[in-house]
Formats: sequence, structure tokens, C-alpha cells
Amino acid sequence: MIADHLFFTCINILLAWSVYVSLLTGSLSFAQGAFMAVGCYASGYFTAKMGLPMLPATGLAALISALIAALVGYPALRLRGIYLILATLGLTFCIRVLLENMDFLGGIGGFGGMKGGDLPKAAAAVVLIGIVLWLLSISPLQRVFDAVREDDRVAAALGINVTAIRLIGFSAGAAIAAVAGMLYGHYMSFVRPENFDVTLSIYVVLYLVLGGVNNLYGAILGAAIMTLLPEYIRFLADWRPTVFGAAILVLLLFRPDGLLSFRPRTALSKHGRALNAPGV
Amino acid sequence: MLAGQIVNGLVSGAMYALVAIGFTLIIGVLDKLNFNHPEVFMFGGYVGLVALPHMPVAGAFAMAFLVGGLLGVLTEWMAFRRFVGNDARTTAALSSLALGLILTDLVHKVWGTEPLRLPNLTGWLSESFGLLGVNFLNLQMVLLAITFALMWALHHVIAHTRMGRQIRAVAESSAHASLLGVHVLRVNQAVFFISSGLASIAGLMLALRADTVSPDLGLTFGLKALAVMAIGGMGDMRGAVLAGLGIGVLEALMFHFGLGRLGELTVWAAMIATLLLKPAGLFASGHHGQEQRV
Repeated sequence: MIADHLFFTCINILLAWSVYVSLLTGSLSFAQGAFMAVGCYASGYFTAKMGLPMLPATGLAALISALIAALVGYPALRLRGIYLILATLGLTFCIRVLLENMDFLGGIGGFGGMKGGDLPKAAAAVVLIGIVLWLLSISPLQRVFDAVREDDRVAAALGINVTAIRLIGFSAGAAIAAVAGMLYGHYMSFVRPENFDVTLSIYVVLYLVLGGVNNLYGAILGAAIMTLLPEYIRFLADWRPTVFGAAILVLLLFRPDGLLSFRPRTALSKHGRALNAPGV
Repeated sequence: MLAGQIVNGLVSGAMYALVAIGFTLIIGVLDKLNFNHPEVFMFGGYVGLVALPHMPVAGAFAMAFLVGGLLGVLTEWMAFRRFVGNDARTTAALSSLALGLILTDLVHKVWGTEPLRLPNLTGWLSESFGLLGVNFLNLQMVLLAITFALMWALHHVIAHTRMGRQIRAVAESSAHASLLGVHVLRVNQAVFFISSGLASIAGLMLALRADTVSPDLGLTFGLKALAVMAIGGMGDMRGAVLAGLGIGVLEALMFHFGLGRLGELTVWAAMIATLLLKPAGLFASGHHGQEQRV
């Protein structure tokens, strides 16, 4: 039981990180569920149908997911505003319908035969990706990401290729979501397209918002709270969406950076300051 | 057969358009996405479920408009008022999303997660008539008529009334409008009231046509209106109407030609294609089309 819960906590941490990485460059994505589905189905196809070992299958699945993200993200990321949110929502629905209609991937009935996902592998993935993200956070690339997120015009004036940086962030997020999908698929050993609903994508974003959008540890906290607490507190399990939604609302009103936040300015923390910001 | 399908598509398209107009109004005035909008749309059906046994259909429509509008004002208060400025876009989207989660969960708790049947319509509305060998339901015609009447009324309000002028002024620039004496908060509330009321009416119409209400409609049918809005061009009402009708007919044609399994894909694929080729939307004219490029 406890191993079960910890496994799903790991998956949700990975997913929350995948949102975090794309939010680092200022793109809010509602397609992490779709990228998870791509990772799950692609890696499942490689291991169950083609007999590849798990590690290369994961790498290939992450690559495919990142490529899809780059293809769909490129036109939307060149634009300011809410276009990426729209494109990612569209992607979530399109991928689900496509999976339902691909008969070699089981179609609407589902796809099975994967095995070998367990808690140690999930924990290893969390630790590895966590280390990579931590290295990123102390590297110069982090400052480029920050510049793009805080003010893309200034970043462009500094000679940063804003679209490319956004594309990197968005694709990296998709790759991490694909790893989570691989683990999920090989743990459940049978998945259906409806497992990767738009509600999943929405929840994943809210995990991160709850924990704090501007650092690595917020995602861990948010995902852990929202996965583990409902398992042990009956009331929370019954009223999960309401409690969750109310918590997010209160949090955004009074602590817009999330529970854990220490860097002063982030993509989400500008209310009250926005009117003083230049260019508004 | 085909003509019947096209009429069917027009009716769905009219509902898409009503919901999309709400999205586009709020985008136009506040430049923010209201993710509670699809859930208000869904709730309109439940207003009908409660109201229909007690009052005539017209009364239910009035109720739906009123309740939806009040929900819209509530949304503005809880999820948008604190988050001003262009930078708070994401925050406002997230907080309205959280509000939508709560609304859906409350509907689940009160009416259950399964679809419910509406009381059967009786009398003239449940009949149909034949014209040129095609069978039309009276209900469909009434729904179409109501939709176009509402759109005309909205156009009149925006184009010719004092409130409409103020709405257009705030859409142009809220700072300048407020300097000129426009009460921006009132305008925002009015926009939320109107847009959510229309969405709620659309929800009631969908419920009447399908005879059922379901708590999932917000995230399935309602979100599609968001794509319709993007296809039409953000902040552009005419575009929302044309795109809504077009997508409705296109979906009906997909079903007619046996591509029903891909029907769900139509609107989203069309939206992604639009974003690729003409990011400002097919009919965009407003300032949202410009100044979007980095």
C-alpha cells in the first residue's frame, strides 16, 4: 500500500517538475498529460512489442515526446499571450483522440503488456532528474531562462533567442513528462487513452502552483501533499477537488508564489507590482 | 438527411458561438482567460433541471441567465479582481480554473456524477414539421432563433448603449477609460455578468436538445468553445459567431461522412492549424491581432 502511494508520489513529482521546467521560461502548459501518454505508449510499444530494454525505450519515448512538443510549441511559442495555453489544451484532446483511433496501440480498448516499473526505478528517476534540475538551477542557463520569463523584450535585446529558449524549456518539460508516463505504464501494465485526460494535466499544474512555482522543491511538496494526504484523510479524499480548488484560490490570493517561495520575482508573482512595472 | 445534419450542426454551432462570445468578451476587455466559463456553461443545464418542473421554458431561460450571470460576477470577484495587469494572466487563469474545479465538485456532490434526464418537453416544442422533405424539430428552430436574438441584442448593447461604449473604452485601454470617468470595476462586472449569463443559457439549450444534463460537459463541450474563440480571433465577436457556426457544421459533416470517431478532433485540429497559419485568428480585426509577436 505505502509503496503504491510513494510510487504515485514519485510520478506526480516528475509531472510537477515537467510543468516547472516549461514554466521556467514562462510557458504554462496544459499538455503534460498528453506528453505522459506519448511517453507511456511509445515506451510501451518499444518494450512490449519490439522487445527493447527499458532504458533505451525510455530515451526514445522522451525524444519523441520532446519532438512533438517542439513541433506544436514552435508556432505558439513565437507569440506572446495565451496562445501556448490554447495549443497545449488542443494537443491534450488531439493526442487522446489519436490514441483512441490507433489500432496498433490498442485503440480505445487500451494497451497492455508492459512490465517492470516499480518504486526503486521511479525513485531513481526522481533523484536523477532532480540532480539535473538542480545543476540547471546553478548554471548560467538558469539566468537565461529567468531573463526570458521575466521580460522577453529585454531578453531579446540582450541577444537571447527567446523562441529557442522557450522551445528548450517546453520540450524538456515534455521529455520529463514522458519519463513519468513510461514509469506509469510499466507499473500499471495496462493503460487506456482516458487515463490521460485533460483533468490530469490541470491537476499537475495545480500541484506545482500549490507547492510553489519558482523552485525545485515546491513541486515535491505540492505533489507529495496532494497525493499522500487524501490517502490517509478520508474527508480530503471525498472533497478532493473542492479542498484543492479552495486551497489554490486562497494561496493565489495571499501567497501567489506558492507555499515554498524564496526568489523575489517570478512569472506568477507580479500582482500589485504590475502597475509599476515598465511597459504597462 | 444531409440537410438535417447541417441544421443539427448549426444548432451546436450556435451554442459554441454563445459560449465563445463569452470567452472573447473577457479576453477583449481584460485580456484574460476565464476557465470558470465552461463550468458556468455546464451549470446552466442544472439550472434548467431545477427550474423546468416549476416554470415555463421561457422562465427557465431567464433563470439560467440570471444564475449564470451571478456566477460570473462571483468569478470576477474571487478569481480576477486581485490580479490586474498583463503579467497576472497566468494567475487569473489558474484561479478561475480552481473555481471551476470547486463548481464541478459541488455539482457532483449535489446531483451525482452521472448524467441526469430533464423532464420531457410537451406541447408545441416537442413537435416537428416537414419542409422540402426534411424534418425539422420545432425545438431546434426555437434554439436557433433564441441564439440569434441574443447575439443581435448583445451587438446592440455593445454598439449603441452607454454601457457598450464603456465596455469598448475599457477594452481599448482600461487606464485611459478610468481617467475619463468610466467605472472600470462596474464594466468588468457587467462583462462577466453578460458573458456568463450567455454561457449558462447555452448550457440550458444543450440540455434541452439532448434531454440530459451532465457534469462533464464543461470540460468536453465547453472547452471546445475556447478553441472556437481562437479560430475566430481573440476579442472578435463576429469571428466567434462565424467560427462557431462553421465548426458546428464541420463536426456534423464529419459524423455524416462516417468520421465520427475523429469528431472530437475537428475543433482542436482546426485550432492548431489556425494558430500555425494565421495566429491572430481567421477573422481577427481588433488590436489583439497586433502586438502579439515578440
